[in-house]
Amino acid sequence: MLSLAVMGRAPRAAPVREPHFAVPEAQEVDLVEHVLCRCGFGAAPGDRERLRALAPGTEEAVDRWIDHQLQPTGEEDPGLRRSLGRLESLTQPLGELYEWKPEVLLRELSSAALLRAVGSRWQLREVMVDFWSDHFNIDASKGECAWLKPADDREVIRRQAMGRFRDLLGASALSPAMLWYLDGRTNRRATASERPNENYARELLELHTLGVDGGYTQADVMEAARCLTGWTVRDRHRFRKGRVELEPALHDDGEKRVLGHRIPASGGARDLDALLDTVATHPATARHLATKLCRRFIGDGPPPEAVETVAAAFLRSDGDLRLTLRTLFRTEAFRSPAARRTKLKRPFHAVASALRATGARTDGGPPLLDLLGRMGQAPFQYPTPEGAPDVAPAWTGTLLWRWRLGMSLAGGELAGTSLDVPGLVERAGGLDRLAAHLLGRAPDGTERAAISASPRPLAVLLGSPAFQRC
Amino acid sequence: MSAIALGKTPDDDRVLVTVFLRGGADGLALVPPVGDDGYHRARPRLGVPPAAALRLDGPFGLAPELAELHPWFLRGQLAVVHAVGSDDDSRSHFVAQELMERGGAAASGGWLGRWLRARGVTGALTAVTTGPEVPDSLRGAPSATALAGLMALAPGPEWSALCESLGGLYARDSRLGGPARDALAAAERVSKLRTEGVRPEHGARYPERREGEVAHAFGQQLAQVAALIRARIGLVAACVDLAGWDSHFAQETIVTPRLRALALGLSAFATDLGTALCRVTVVVMSEFGRRVAENASLGTDHGRGGVMLVLGGGTPGGMHCRWPGLAADRLEGPGDLPVVHDYRDVLAAVLARHGAVPPSTVFPGHQTRPLAV
Repeated sequence: MLSLAVMGRAPRAAPVREPHFAVPEAQEVDLVEHVLCRCGFGAAPGDRERLRALAPGTEEAVDRWIDHQLQPTGEEDPGLRRSLGRLESLTQPLGELYEWKPEVLLRELSSAALLRAVGSRWQLREVMVDFWSDHFNIDASKGECAWLKPADDREVIRRQAMGRFRDLLGASALSPAMLWYLDGRTNRRATASERPNENYARELLELHTLGVDGGYTQADVMEAARCLTGWTVRDRHRFRKGRVELEPALHDDGEKRVLGHRIPASGGARDLDALLDTVATHPATARHLATKLCRRFIGDGPPPEAVETVAAAFLRSDGDLRLTLRTLFRTEAFRSPAARRTKLKRPFHAVASALRATGARTDGGPPLLDLLGRMGQAPFQYPTPEGAPDVAPAWTGTLLWRWRLGMSLAGGELAGTSLDVPGLVERAGGLDRLAAHLLGRAPDGTERAAISASPRPLAVLLGSPAFQRC
Repeated sequence: MSAIALGKTPDDDRVLVTVFLRGGADGLALVPPVGDDGYHRARPRLGVPPAAALRLDGPFGLAPELAELHPWFLRGQLAVVHAVGSDDDSRSHFVAQELMERGGAAASGGWLGRWLRARGVTGALTAVTTGPEVPDSLRGAPSATALAGLMALAPGPEWSALCESLGGLYARDSRLGGPARDALAAAERVSKLRTEGVRPEHGARYPERREGEVAHAFGQQLAQVAALIRARIGLVAACVDLAGWDSHFAQETIVTPRLRALALGLSAFATDLGTALCRVTVVVMSEFGRRVAENASLGTDHGRGGVMLVLGGGTPGGMHCRWPGLAADRLEGPGDLPVVHDYRDVLAAVLARHGAVPPSTVFPGHQTRPLAV
């Protein structure tokens, strides 16, 4: 964990002046800061000049950065690879996960989420992983989810985060963790008198696809549940635990009718595909997803025109998430200066951005996870299927803990996390420039006064209202 | 300091305190059915003689070791529910506690966590636990803090300086200004509490060390909760554990000190709160009761139905039980008091006074029929 940055600076006798990293100079938040903060977990030292170097003009450079971020590869910085390498459970195959203690799996998975948000070069993918982890929320405390969520994170959410929505939805529908979380594994109809378990079918329509006002009826929920009967997952007491399979005897193989579409009898496993094909690219699904994406990237109350534009792009592209996002990032609402630094960071974003902006070294360990728990956003522990809220009122009560984070980070009081504060100030080129880096714009008079009067200027900056927003 | 609780409206300052008796507390020791012959047949050596018990209602008496709670019952501020428990019949501490704190097999997270979420409670210090870890019942809560962490919130002059700087920056923020004021005031009150220490009021006397370590430790936790309630930091729920009820062997040595802890602690807490007890409810629960018949080593084994207590907060008090009797053919499995009342029907009745949330949200999959407690 120790590095030169922590051990001390180069001796004064042989000054090796590092160039200062670029910080915003203007009084207003610019487009570069905006995309780094919304499409990622904020600017790390050096991000700004790396983005600016992509093209001569700002708009063009931002477009290039977005295009690049939309095509993530497996490549990561060695530092992050090393930190993730210490979390051994991350790479365990599904069946092996059952050998681990659930609390260890949850801790490692949570640390990994934080480490990636802080350190991944594919910031937009991490934001989308965060988005889909809520959209397809699974609380690890239910049933065998603790053993299965790591595989869901790896093989469903991460693998499909930026692809086609239909693929993501299909993977989620047959994810062992989801079959546990929303009781799909118990949904069966071996005889005509048996009533299917509607839990997953309802959330599929209400939360994952059409949305609560999406125009479906109770009859659609029941028919959707019939399509899904018989899909189950082998529990931990059985051979090949965690394996998902269709038990034909428990599948209702009669004809179904969902949202006006006839699904013929004897479809077997094809019923699932027919159902998901129907809902994945339904206009109501496009509107529901566009609303949530705009809420995440534009603001708590996004303008209806932007939602319409994004929904249309989703439909036109047959649910291609890259094209949908590219369209979103080109809307006037997203690019408008009025949208910048207006969204309250959720606790996870607040913690990740503080670590990222300061270049802290961290193991993403228990003190940070504990803090997230106190702020009500412990990863993978949101209790209800709709996932953690994405609007400010849910999180305004967390300020005290954000201030505490700033204080402990600046004071080096977090075990497993270290920060070279004088080095950071020096690399920024002074306190005023560090303030601009953290606030996304040059500090104003009040901010400047508060920082210069404080014995812990970094804690003031990290606790300031401007830093709580992205 | 203003009389208004932080982050809440003036009429919204109710606090729910849960006391979890971990290890399976023997309901027949807490509230012996001394008027039931079956009880004396099953507990020839451990049974409480009818004359020693404090009279409640019907066949029920209060254990003499719980004497300090009797006046609260007589005043109608303490409700007692017998033959209560969950539908889990594993008789496993782990499974039963987990299920009880979850609030039902169909649920995820914890029942208190779901309730706090559904109530839209958003303050920084809305839920605390006096133990080192946040209990399962608070899983998924909008905020939940171990008391040790809360007290570490105000570590001295640097923190005060930070609060002052931030106060200036937030004062001009139209959206975050209000929440920041609440947060600063809460921090200040916690800080004050730290420096001034816990000062019980109304002549309340929490158990001292000489009255037993268990009683002392439990009393100190309740004293801290009372101080937090008085400081009006925005507390909505607090969780306190009283553990070690697993009395398979020489039951009296295990149960007696805990009964004393419960009686001395809760009566001091209720006294300490004074008239504020009308807005604070204490619910006492355990994962299961114990076998009706005593075993050969003067203990009792894991059973089913147990006892819950509801103190203060507007409870009508009284004894609540459709008593099945202890005749052999009324017992369940290996000879256990059946669960006649679901613990969620007790909690639902209490929660209804602490902020209306549809019971199906808090206890999904359970058809709630709240008891009149």
